[in-house]
Amino acid sequence: MAMIEIKDVFAGYGIGPDILTGLSLNVVAGRSYCIVGPNGAGKSTLLKVICGQLPPRSGSVMFNGQDLAGLRTDEVLERGICFVPQDRSLFTDMTIRENLQMGGYILKDSAEIDRRIEGVLEMFPVLKSRLGLAAKTLSGGQQQQLLIGRALVLRPKVIMLDEPTLGLAPKISRQIFDSMNELKAAGIAIIVVEQNARMGLNFADWGCVLDLGRMVFEGPSQDVLSDERIEQLYLGRKRQTEAAS
Amino acid sequence: MTQIDTDLAMDAAAEPAPNISRRVFITVLIAACVLFPLLQVFVGGMNYYLHMLLFLFMNIAIASNWNIIGGYTGYISLGHNVFFAIGGYAGAILFAYFGISPFIAFPICGIVTMLLGFLIGSITLRASGPTFIISSIALVLLVRILLENWEYIGGTNGISLELVDLPVEYVKFPFYYLMLLLAVGSVAMSMAIRRSKFGLGLRAISQDEIKAEVAGVPTRRYKVLAFGLSGLFIGMAGALWGYYLTYLSPVIFLSILVGAKFVLMTILGGRGTVSGPVVGAIVFILANEFFVSQFGATELNIAATGLALVVVLLFFPEGIIGTLKEKDRLPKFLDWD
Repeated sequence: MAMIEIKDVFAGYGIGPDILTGLSLNVVAGRSYCIVGPNGAGKSTLLKVICGQLPPRSGSVMFNGQDLAGLRTDEVLERGICFVPQDRSLFTDMTIRENLQMGGYILKDSAEIDRRIEGVLEMFPVLKSRLGLAAKTLSGGQQQQLLIGRALVLRPKVIMLDEPTLGLAPKISRQIFDSMNELKAAGIAIIVVEQNARMGLNFADWGCVLDLGRMVFEGPSQDVLSDERIEQLYLGRKRQTEAAS
Repeated sequence: MTQIDTDLAMDAAAEPAPNISRRVFITVLIAACVLFPLLQVFVGGMNYYLHMLLFLFMNIAIASNWNIIGGYTGYISLGHNVFFAIGGYAGAILFAYFGISPFIAFPICGIVTMLLGFLIGSITLRASGPTFIISSIALVLLVRILLENWEYIGGTNGISLELVDLPVEYVKFPFYYLMLLLAVGSVAMSMAIRRSKFGLGLRAISQDEIKAEVAGVPTRRYKVLAFGLSGLFIGMAGALWGYYLTYLSPVIFLSILVGAKFVLMTILGGRGTVSGPVVGAIVFILANEFFVSQFGATELNIAATGLALVVVLLFFPEGIIGTLKEKDRLPKFLDWD
């Protein structure tokens, strides 16, 4: 059964035209999804609609049978849907402890937050030894550990990441996907929008191709990767490029 | 550095030790301020120092209070002197027309100011960045026009209040102690907020509002709350200051320079820190007083104070406390965060 059911959603910004034009998608618990498509296809808009940052003009977004319409971002988060926007992973001027506390911000019980933070610190001892330092003092890999740790404090059911590797060196990008694999192993459903479509699809269980605000194809990631037409239209002809080089 | 040194440094970063020197310093400082007026009783000739100290306490209260919205939340308001004026006029109205002394009414004036702050904030905080700053200046101009045209409180002529009926050597005492109370209260509230979940949310907003929102911080509600709270002590200070001057007019409270001073004191000390506004107010007031004594109350004094601020900020770009903290050179007794 689908955990998130998105049905025939139309959405856009201000008085502008619809960016999503009748999009539907079912998200199953524990499965990872990679959303690909050309610029302006509505990938980031889809994530904003799910997390409550952008209310849909029509259509519905249901989470475990409950309509998310009209809920604020923090209320959506309370239900277990966590959104990591583009290039906005950590609070770099805050300490590592404060970043972890921000992970459990919506939790009411501070003792429970402390317990969860302790659990995360057992997993990542390098963070434990630097708790009072600003997050910006960590290396790229350590920042990724902190990012995962922060997500684990909340124990969400779904994490949505918008372009997590945008502008990053290949080595750091690989570290991010390693981190996402750990979240996947923890049973958390992941929806990732990724410019590096091949990397994203290789990570995810399920691939979704968006164009002009609609779903044009979805299926197991390997099917998306091996589809000649999709490859030509949305992924670039890697094999030809490779052959030429 | 040996492995042991590294481990010790890491342990220090992991678990902050109880800051005993800070507690001792604050306790001694407050005790000294409480006892200082005894010099007037037993020695005499302390009226100037009493005046300077109560003026300093007021500015500490104001800067610490402004720090909640301008420092923790990151919304620079150049219009917080509106709260100063609202508190002052509320106190004056209650005294002149209803006979309630500002010594009793000042908490009410603070609460009125805070409630108006919630209302104003719910409108102005729809904007952010430069738009918010400009809207805060516009607010000053708007309230000034309103007060200048409100005959009930004297319009541009202002309103005069009765003098406090005390011998001249003791007339500053009630103001001194109440301003001290405001300074301590304002810093205590700032400290409590800085260490609370609410404060963590405000600081997250200051860093990145969208990031804070997706982490679950109810950003809009928190900003309005911070804006209102940042007027509480400024309103109370306004009520007492109006009574101290025994004369209120819009020009005293609502010039752009007054609002800018609130901002400068906090930035000078280090906005977003607890002790920064305290240090900033002390340095600002002392520097200003020094230049007044050298050049008189002229434009030259304002220029010299401005120049001194520029020089200080060249060496302390994050403010005195902020920069020292960033460089890990802040004495423990001054680290109140």
